[in-house]
Amino acid sequence: MIGVGKIKQYSNILDKPLSKGKQEVSLSAFAFLFSELVQYNQTQVDNIAELERRLEDAGYAVGARVLELLCHRDKGNRRETRLLGILSFVHSTVWKVLFGKVADSLEKGTEHEDEYMISEKELLVNKFISIPKDMGTFNCGAFVAGIVRGVLDGAGFPAVVTAHFVPMEGQQRPRTTILIKFAEEVLRREARLG
Amino acid sequence: MIVCVAVVGHQNNPLYIQSFTDADDALKLHHIVHCSLDVVDERVNNPKKSGPTLNETFLGLLYPTENYKVYGYLTNTKVKFILVTTDLDVRDADVRNFFRRFHAAYVDAVSNPFHVPGKKITSRTFAERVSTIVKSFGLSSAG
Repeated sequence: MIGVGKIKQYSNILDKPLSKGKQEVSLSAFAFLFSELVQYNQTQVDNIAELERRLEDAGYAVGARVLELLCHRDKGNRRETRLLGILSFVHSTVWKVLFGKVADSLEKGTEHEDEYMISEKELLVNKFISIPKDMGTFNCGAFVAGIVRGVLDGAGFPAVVTAHFVPMEGQQRPRTTILIKFAEEVLRREARLG
Repeated sequence: MIVCVAVVGHQNNPLYIQSFTDADDALKLHHIVHCSLDVVDERVNNPKKSGPTLNETFLGLLYPTENYKVYGYLTNTKVKFILVTTDLDVRDADVRNFFRRFHAAYVDAVSNPFHVPGKKITSRTFAERVSTIVKSFGLSSAG
């Protein structure tokens, strides 16, 4: 009986017309994989800062590759040399490819010249994660911060990227903000380009 | 006839150099690729006319030597592809097409999670794909 089922499956697959294939991965598969990634790293480190750094390094590798891939797929792409250009690239194109929608908002920091914030009501990677009280300010969005850092670094805009929770009134779960702090040379170059 | 292709990283470190002739002049080809990097840097830093050509990926003919032509291509991550050919009448469209397929093979090689960015590309699949692209380039421009 099982053999018959298998043969039927095979002939079906051969008869199916060739398609481009689905561009999406199931959310639950990703959630399981990500939770396993966090758990594995948790057994390897002793403190929270180290865990956050490891997640960020994992995201950095993803970011570098995503940049190469997107630049190739986006035909007629120009190399981004301006700050606003690369930020809007991350905010719309990268977010759309990774999470299926553009990020909620992109803001310029008020205190310092070199700070920008991308905020999201509910980060996809945090959707099924709740942080225990004794972990303090740990945020699994460090993975997404790593991705953003990888993209910016590959494009020639070195920056320090971190993820923070920002509590909002009227909402149960706090909003997540990715804080991007550009390096000195980026600001100098931007000032020179005018 | 394509003589050599090279991939150079963003700090001008070689990531992949492959020559396609039988002669044993690999050193001369390395030297030509190295000199063409200077031309690339000059084009990137001092654009002839600012505006649309400032951010172009395909750099075109870099410089012709006595019997070689060198073409360059720059990606968003400052990774450069260099193509050395002995053909005298290559069409622009052919070279652009070549670089597009080469870029696709490069992106696939870099997406490998075991590839360390900045190290040489050691993937055999990448080498095979590059050889295929090089062979088909020769055939299409001869016809």
